Order: sequence, then structure tokens, then C-alpha cells
Amino acid sequence: MKNVPKMRTAINYVFLFCILLGGLFLIFLLNVGVGSANISVRDIFQILAGKVSVTDSRYLIIYRIRIPRALASAAGGAALAVAGFLLQTFFANPIVEPYVLGISSGSSLFVGLVLLGGITFGARSVSPMFLFAGAFFGAMLVMVIVIIAARKVKSIITLLIIGMMAGYVCSAATSIMTAFAERESLQMFTMWSMGSFAGFTWSQVGLLYAIVFPMIFLAFLLAKPLNALNLGDRYAESMGINVRLVRYALILISSVLTAVVTAFAGPVSFIGLAVPHICRIAFNTADSRILIPAAAIGGGLMAGFCDFTARNIMSPVELPLGAITAVIGAPLVVYLLMKRGDL
Amino acid sequence: MNDLGYILSTDHLDVGYESRTVIRNVDIQALKGQTICLLGPNGAGKSTILRTLTGMLSPVNGCVYIEKNDVRRMKSADRAKKLAVVLTEKLNLNMTSAYEVAAMGRTPYTGFFGRLTDEDKEIIEECLRTVGAWELRDRDYRSLSDGEKQKVMIARALAQRPELIVLDEPTSHLDIKHKIEVVRILNKLAIETGLTVILALHDIDIAVKFCQIVLLVKDGKIVAQGRPEDIVRRDTVDELYGIEEGAFYDSILGSVEICNEANPEIFVMAGAGCGIPVYRLVSRLGFGIATGILAQNDIDYVVASAMKLTAVSTRSFQPIREEEIRQAQQCMERCRFVIDTGFPVGQENRENAKLLRQAVGRGKRIFSLRDPKDSAEICGQNANIVHVSSMAELSGRLQGELA
Repeated sequence: MKNVPKMRTAINYVFLFCILLGGLFLIFLLNVGVGSANISVRDIFQILAGKVSVTDSRYLIIYRIRIPRALASAAGGAALAVAGFLLQTFFANPIVEPYVLGISSGSSLFVGLVLLGGITFGARSVSPMFLFAGAFFGAMLVMVIVIIAARKVKSIITLLIIGMMAGYVCSAATSIMTAFAERESLQMFTMWSMGSFAGFTWSQVGLLYAIVFPMIFLAFLLAKPLNALNLGDRYAESMGINVRLVRYALILISSVLTAVVTAFAGPVSFIGLAVPHICRIAFNTADSRILIPAAAIGGGLMAGFCDFTARNIMSPVELPLGAITAVIGAPLVVYLLMKRGDL
Repeated sequence: MNDLGYILSTDHLDVGYESRTVIRNVDIQALKGQTICLLGPNGAGKSTILRTLTGMLSPVNGCVYIEKNDVRRMKSADRAKKLAVVLTEKLNLNMTSAYEVAAMGRTPYTGFFGRLTDEDKEIIEECLRTVGAWELRDRDYRSLSDGEKQKVMIARALAQRPELIVLDEPTSHLDIKHKIEVVRILNKLAIETGLTVILALHDIDIAVKFCQIVLLVKDGKIVAQGRPEDIVRRDTVDELYGIEEGAFYDSILGSVEICNEANPEIFVMAGAGCGIPVYRLVSRLGFGIATGILAQNDIDYVVASAMKLTAVSTRSFQPIREEEIRQAQQCMERCRFVIDTGFPVGQENRENAKLLRQAVGRGKRIFSLRDPKDSAEICGQNANIVHVSSMAELSGRLQGELA
């Protein structure tokens, strides 16, 4: 929107979006093709086109394991990045994200309750809807605590610490619970809590997309009020924005997005923090109309890349996803903190 | 409610937070093109009044009307087209150009996604040009100076095409250039476009010179209200700011002078404004001052009395009398030094020249800012006078005497 080089800006945006989409597609192909059994791009297209027998092992690997996983990482990353972007706008602060604010930990606690409690008390399996409900409840709980605290304390550092502490309490409760859990369910929970896009079933992928896409679309519809909110509540209000309504919508959308990813893939850190920032810097704008779609695509790309790294870097051993996102994300947080002297 | 065409009016308004009343009976009726200023010390409740007027805060009692509508009941989008605000809070904006900030002012008019039409763009350009910030449009907002930021924020408010603009302390933290610029912009808008301006200030001099109506706010009350000429007087201002000692407000000049009531050690011969810089300089060095002989219509007298100096004076447009000469002689006699400010000598103050010659005759130590040639004409060739060519030199000489 900068007036003089306007055309150049528009071309830049198109160019950057093309790069993001291209990257997303590339990482999807890599995730589907590369692994313990490598499958060529030509084969992938043939399989997708239905020209390969359904009993072929490559078909099974791709359809049962790799495509759901690649799709899940794309949607999960998008959800986390958009949730991070919304929270950063909500708190007018660049270093918040679901994981930092303890929202993921809240989700973990309730997912733990559902997973450990459910199986311990005799349920044979846990329905995905139930998992999601637990994760959502946990996310909202921590979110509400942080928001109530935000009314009292103005310092963002204090607020972050409150979020982190809420997260620790949730983690403590979770670990107490694991002490009583049965071995079988415990292993499942431990795997989950390290974060991974592995083991997604098609029905889980369906649910993930059914929740993530409408939520990101809703967030995109809020782009104009979000832009006004960049000037602060009072200015936004004076320009005719219903700030309360927008804030409620922000809480709801970011909690749902965080919860749905946490329910199925476990707590995944730093994607929600790093991606919005990389997008801001790359696009050189604070305009939500650009940044929400950019963060969604970029989040999918980054999650896909991290998942690819986790699977292949130490192959055949698969690393926990959380380790990869942290290694990439943590230095970025430090960099941002040091660059921003006015926190 | 109001048939007189008030843009903003109040009805039995008490303002405060929740049920705690801060200020009772706020009575503001703002006409088109009026500039109304709330003046008062920090913490007097000016911001509380402004926040209530803009509908951000609900009144404890009573009502605020924008034209004929209750400001709290208006749809916020409708209100945004009538009323724009400029607040004191600092913006935390990243990666946003000055143009984009100003463009935010179109928010109440743009469609669902906030896309700017050609008309919007014309209005934004016009508003940025009005405040003289069009050249800043591509700069990152964060890189602007405080004064430039303020101009951009005013452009943003104007882009809302309001009939009323409310500003909270728009000139604080600004340097003098930007202070004046901001006030001039607002004044011009009020006169040329009929924009009504309501603002809080704590610069008395700016308020008095720029606003049509002033409300003095202190300790939860509006202590006076009306045209600045009527209500901004020495006593009201000194009371308003609780200035009891050390400084004095002068209503003719609209400025605050620092008092100097120390025992006079230096006699300053002044007139026609030559004395003012010397008074200030000598006061800063810590000397007490006596001055004279000044006509009461002399600008030097106005400042000397605001500073509470010992001043020998004569009534306006009257020749100097014997009695006043004697007074001046006595004053001069008690002082250690005499300073000749180089005041013009004419028909009415010839006596001052005579007084200067007497000082020479009595062997007083005299510092003179006058040209030595002119000095010789008044006091003769061999007079014992120390001529200084600048205020800096005078300051140095006096400090030398002190040591």
C-alpha cells in the first residue's frame, strides 16, 4: 500500500506467495516420496492417478502412511502459525504463541486425562472428537487465566511468566497423572507428548481439515478489524471497530486452532512464533490481509519441513518433532528479544 | 435537546470511573468551528472528561450528545464518522508506513476487507498534505520523530472526515517547532473547514493564544470557563497550577516568569524591552535586582513586575516626577553595581540619562551594553564605564565580580 512503489509491492506479494505455494508443494512431494522406501515423483503421480494396484506396497505406504501424515503436517502447521499470528495481534506482542503462553500445556493436560484416564478406566480406544474436546477445554482454560491476568498486569513479561507458570502447573498435573497411569497407555501418551504428525488416520485428517480451514477462513474475515487493532484498542474503537467482539473471536479461533493440532499431533512449539515473524519480514508489512494467508501457507511449509527433517535426518531413527521445531525456533526467539529493546 | 446546532453538548454531566465521580457538572456546548481547551495541571481529570466526551467512558451521571444523539448509544461506525480522536498513548507499530497509518482513518468507510477506493486515496493524500506529512508517507512510522508521528496521527483522524476532533495533550513531548505547527494546523482547520476542536493542554501560553473557549480544571472541579481573555488571569492561573512561590503568570504576555525577590544588588537601567533579557540573565546568576525608571506601559515594567523585581515606575504616558527620581537615586545608592541596558533615550525618559550620569559621578561600578560612542555622548568621554558587547560577556563580568 506504500504509495509510490505500489505496483512493485503487488508484484512482490504475488512472487512471494508463489514461492510459498511452490515450497509447500515441493515439501509435500518430498514427504510423500522420501523415507525408508523411496518413491519417485513419477510413481507418486501414477499412484495418485490410480494406475497402480491397491495391493502394491508403495500404494499402501503412500496412502496409509505418508499422504495422511503430509496432509496433517501442512494443516497443523497452518493452524499453529495462524493461531500464533492472532495471539501476537491480541497481545500486541511479537513473542507470544500458543506454546509460550502455556495454552498447549493446558491442552496436553486434558488430552492426558482423556488418553490416560480413558484407557485406565477401561475404554478400549479414544474417539478423535473426544480428544479434541479435551484439548479445546484445556486450551480455553489456560487462555482464560492468561486473559484475566492480562487485565490486571500490563507488563508483557509478567504476562508471559504467568502463562508459563500456568503451563508448568498443567505439566506438573500431567506428570502426576502419568505416575498413576498404566504402562500401555503411558507409552502412547509419551509418544504423543513429544509431538509428531505420525500415525494420522484418514478420519483424523478429515476432522483436522474440517476444523482448521473454516477457522483460518474466519480469521481472514477478521483482517480489517485486526489491522485496526494494531493501533491499540482505543483507536480501533474510535474508528468504529467492535473491539470486544473481535477479541472474543480471536480467543475462540486461536484456542480452537491450537486445540485441534495439540489433540492429534501433541504440543508443537515455535511454529506459531517463528512463521508469522518470517512472513512479516519477508512481506515487509503488518497487513493482516496479507499475513494471514501467508502465515497459513508458511506454517504448512515449515511444519512439513520440520517433519521431513525429523523423519530423515537420523533415519531410520525418527526424531521427536518438538526437538526440530525448537532447534529452529529458539534461536529466533532470542534474536527477536535482543532486537526489540522496548519489551 | 439542542436546537442551536451544537456539534457536541453535555447535559448534567458528571464524569468519573464506575461510580466514583471525578468531576461534577461538566458543561460543554461546542459549536461548529470552535476550539475548546481544557487547561489544568496533570491529574486534574482532563483525560477523564475527554474520554467521556468521546464515549469511551460512560458518564457517572448525565449525557453527552453528538449533534442530537447520545454518544454512548450511537453505533460505533456512525460515531467514527462524526468524531475522531488523537490520544496520548504511544503506538507499537511494526512494518507500517506513515501512509498506512493515515489510511487507517478510512476504516469507518471502507468495505468488509478495508480495500481503499480511489476516493479514499484522494482523501488520505489531502489529509496528509493538510498536516504537511505527505513527504513522510513512505517512511516507517516507527522511524518518525514525535512531532512527525503526531502529525500523521492527526492526518489519520482527519481521514475519518469528522466534524469534531478530540485531542488529549497533542503538544506534549513535542519540540517548539512542532508544537506551533500542530496548533496552527488545528486552528486552520477550525477556521477554514469548520472542524470543531476539543483538546486538553497544559501549555497555558498556547491555550490562551489559540483557543476560543478555555475550561480551567482543578481538583475535580471546573473552576472557570469562558473566553481566555476573561478567565485566564494571573490569580486564576497561579491558583490553577498551585503556583504559590517562585514563579508568576503574566496575563498580558501569556507566559510564566520566574520570581526574583532577592535583596537588590544590581540596579538595571532599562526601557523599551532592553531590560527583559538582562533581568533574566542577572536573576539566573542569583543577584537581586532593582530597576527603573520605567513607565508602567513599558514592556520592561510588565516583566519586571511579573518577576516581582523592585521597580521604580511612573504612570503611563506621564513625565517622570521628582519623587520617582529620588526613589531611583535611593535604590541605586543601595546597589553594588549599575547595568545600563542601552535603552533608547528620548523626551520622556531624559531623567534616566541624568540618573546614569549621576551614577558615574558617584563612582558606581557600571556595566554598559550601550555602544561606547553613544555612551560617551550621554556620560562624557572619560566616564568610568565597563562596556560589554554581549550578554555572554556581561554574564562573565558579573560572575567575575562574584568571585
